[in-house]
Amino acid sequence: MRQAGIYSGILSGGISGKTGPHSLPLARIKKIMKKSGGGGGDDVKMISGEAPIVFSKACELFIQELTKRSWMLTLQGKRRIVHKEDVASAVIATDVFDFLVTLVSDDADPTINILHHQNGNTS
Amino acid sequence: MAEAPASPGGGSHESGDQSPRSNVREQDRYLPIANISRIMKKALPANGKIAKDAKETVQECVSEFISFITSEASDKCQKEKRKTINGDDLLWAMATLGFEDYIDPLKIYLARYREMEGDTKGSAKGGEASAKKDVQPSPNAQIAQGSFSQGVSYTNSQILC
Repeated sequence: MRQAGIYSGILSGGISGKTGPHSLPLARIKKIMKKSGGGGGDDVKMISGEAPIVFSKACELFIQELTKRSWMLTLQGKRRIVHKEDVASAVIATDVFDFLVTLVSDDADPTINILHHQNGNTS
Repeated sequence: MAEAPASPGGGSHESGDQSPRSNVREQDRYLPIANISRIMKKALPANGKIAKDAKETVQECVSEFISFITSEASDKCQKEKRKTINGDDLLWAMATLGFEDYIDPLKIYLARYREMEGDTKGSAKGGEASAKKDVQPSPNAQIAQGSFSQGVSYTNSQILC
């Protein structure tokens, strides 16, 4: 019947349905990759077919980790609903999420933060 | 440093990529919130709920994560004078930037994908080689080998979405 079902069985990361074997849309991931383009990495224009596939799973792991850490803080506050502040606190409390600190602490204009990070990370 | 931070790769795509948020379509900058929400819910117990603002924050964080990793991988490619960012570059970048815990699950995911890809391209050589890897093909994988030998590629699998 629907072939994507079989793919989902192999690649256990997928959520059955719209995205086929992957839990996040590959075309969208590729667009975001192209936008980042590296810190002035004008020479790298091509993205292998495998790269968005790696990201589809990596983003899933990333979202799960960030959510679990946020949830711990929600529980500490004796609540059951994860709010933006929990996510922000989880980011601040976790070393590997340091690159997100500016983004969560100034939610108003993330674009500026993204640019800021790109410059900062590559210099 | 060889790179020019003032122009972060915008030239490789349509013009105006780095313009302020208002000029860029939302759907080009972020992954769909429904998918993100679904993944977040999986990470929570049944009694846990997620506020909309938390979903939106995670949505922004994911795009930033992709950019962060891609930038590092892109720098590596530039230094090595390669034009194409591949999956291994991303794995390397994640390991470098502190996400080493992701590497093993990603390698397994990628190995399964390659195995399937090898089979579906009708490359007997690729199929044999990947079958010997430590990834155990599920019973479904056996079915897939039979069903998709007519050459389902990345493109086709996306169409199936």
